[in-house]
Amino acid sequence: MILKRWSVAITIWCLLVGTVGAGNASPTPMDFVKERIDQIITILNDPTYHTPGQKGSQRDRIWEVSQPMFDFKEISRRTVGPKWDLFSEAEKEQFTHVFSSFLGNTYIDKIQGEYHNEQIVYLKELVKEPLALVRTKLVRESVEIPIDYRLRRNDNQWKVYDILVENGVSLVQNYRVQFRSILEKEPPAELIRRLEQKLQEQNHALQ
Amino acid sequence: MKNRLYTSVALFTVALLLLIGCAGATKSGDRGTPQELPSDSGPPSSVSNSEEENQLSDEELLLLEDDSDWNDGPTEEIYTVPDPIEPFNRAMFTINDKLYLWIMIPVAKGYAKVVEPQIRTGVKNFFFNLGAPVRIVNNILQGKGRAAEAEIARFLYNSTVGVLGFGNPAKRHDGLNPDPEDLGQTLGVWGIGDGLYLYLPVLGPSTLRDTVGFVGDRYASPMGFVEPMELSLGLSGYNVLNTLSFRADDYKTLKDAALDPYASFRNAYIQLRQSKLRR
Repeated sequence: MILKRWSVAITIWCLLVGTVGAGNASPTPMDFVKERIDQIITILNDPTYHTPGQKGSQRDRIWEVSQPMFDFKEISRRTVGPKWDLFSEAEKEQFTHVFSSFLGNTYIDKIQGEYHNEQIVYLKELVKEPLALVRTKLVRESVEIPIDYRLRRNDNQWKVYDILVENGVSLVQNYRVQFRSILEKEPPAELIRRLEQKLQEQNHALQ
Repeated sequence: MKNRLYTSVALFTVALLLLIGCAGATKSGDRGTPQELPSDSGPPSSVSNSEEENQLSDEELLLLEDDSDWNDGPTEEIYTVPDPIEPFNRAMFTINDKLYLWIMIPVAKGYAKVVEPQIRTGVKNFFFNLGAPVRIVNNILQGKGRAAEAEIARFLYNSTVGVLGFGNPAKRHDGLNPDPEDLGQTLGVWGIGDGLYLYLPVLGPSTLRDTVGFVGDRYASPMGFVEPMELSLGLSGYNVLNTLSFRADDYKTLKDAALDPYASFRNAYIQLRQSKLRR
């Protein structure tokens, strides 16, 4: 009898620990990614934005929705790599700001121009606290593009800090090698200046 | 008394289990160990209690691990390939860039406008099916027996049921879609390094090893046996154009997203090949 009771207690204990763990993380990484992407797709399909002259406000709206999905500070830190320590606090902030605007412009412009009801299949999520990987694939006509989202939990909130395409091509690493060659010869301010210049060109083209 | 306590505890357990929604485990009230919930998988919509321990393959672990290339230390471990002929490669990159932007991509887009996606998909399937001998040979050379069998089965299936490979009925069968292998990967599995980075005219990013592999694969490919040579090249060109018609905008997307497009493409290619080598 005592043994029985103990086993019951252990069972309950395990379940409680399990559910508390899950309860904290209200949305799972996959739910979190999916919710945001669904919202973006809704905005993309929204007919009110399909009239001429509405592209700008649609872009702003997508940016609003997608921004909370990403940890831009972490993205910036990782794209710069070991040289991040050479940046002053002000430069870190400046870099994060300009780089996130650059990313936002580049990719939102792309999905605005090229989204044609591609289907996104959510394959699975892998969690290894505080990290997670959400595996998806984008289906376009007969082409399938694997896209994985790397997330990290910070202050109890999952945020994307890297995206892997084609089973392991990291966007962060791709930017890092580009920035590295600049930072080998130039100070951080020069990298920021170049990004700002690129951003201006973009803004000009988007007008 | 004892009985009542036990009953209430059991009821509480059952209620709790029902709340969590794992009805399958409701019998566990008098078991010694809590039953394991099934690990993830299943349709995405059903993934709600995924705090469970995931079954991670080595590859997935690598993709998940953010510290695999850099973790705050002074060093980083990005796999790179030497690029001793960078000035030549960069010149080639500039030439190809114009070739893509001015000729190939507009042609591919025009082609995509005229030809239905179903037909282009059929053409794509057809050429992919023709590549089966190359993939079979390379799977065997890498000792991947299972994948070689799957390639053979898919080739037979798609060539018959799929009508000469224009259809791809094998796509629906999980076991019949192994990762494509080529000679560049085979040489890599054998321990031969990339050598150096090469940006080839028309073909784009490659390495010395992958270029050797590309040439070698032509010998195992039915396309390599088409006579005359012009027809063979023409068919290859058509394959390239048809493939491009599905991803015509990708080149510009990648290029526009880069601060240094040359370095970006080089890294993307190296990362892509590394990920294929792992699989």
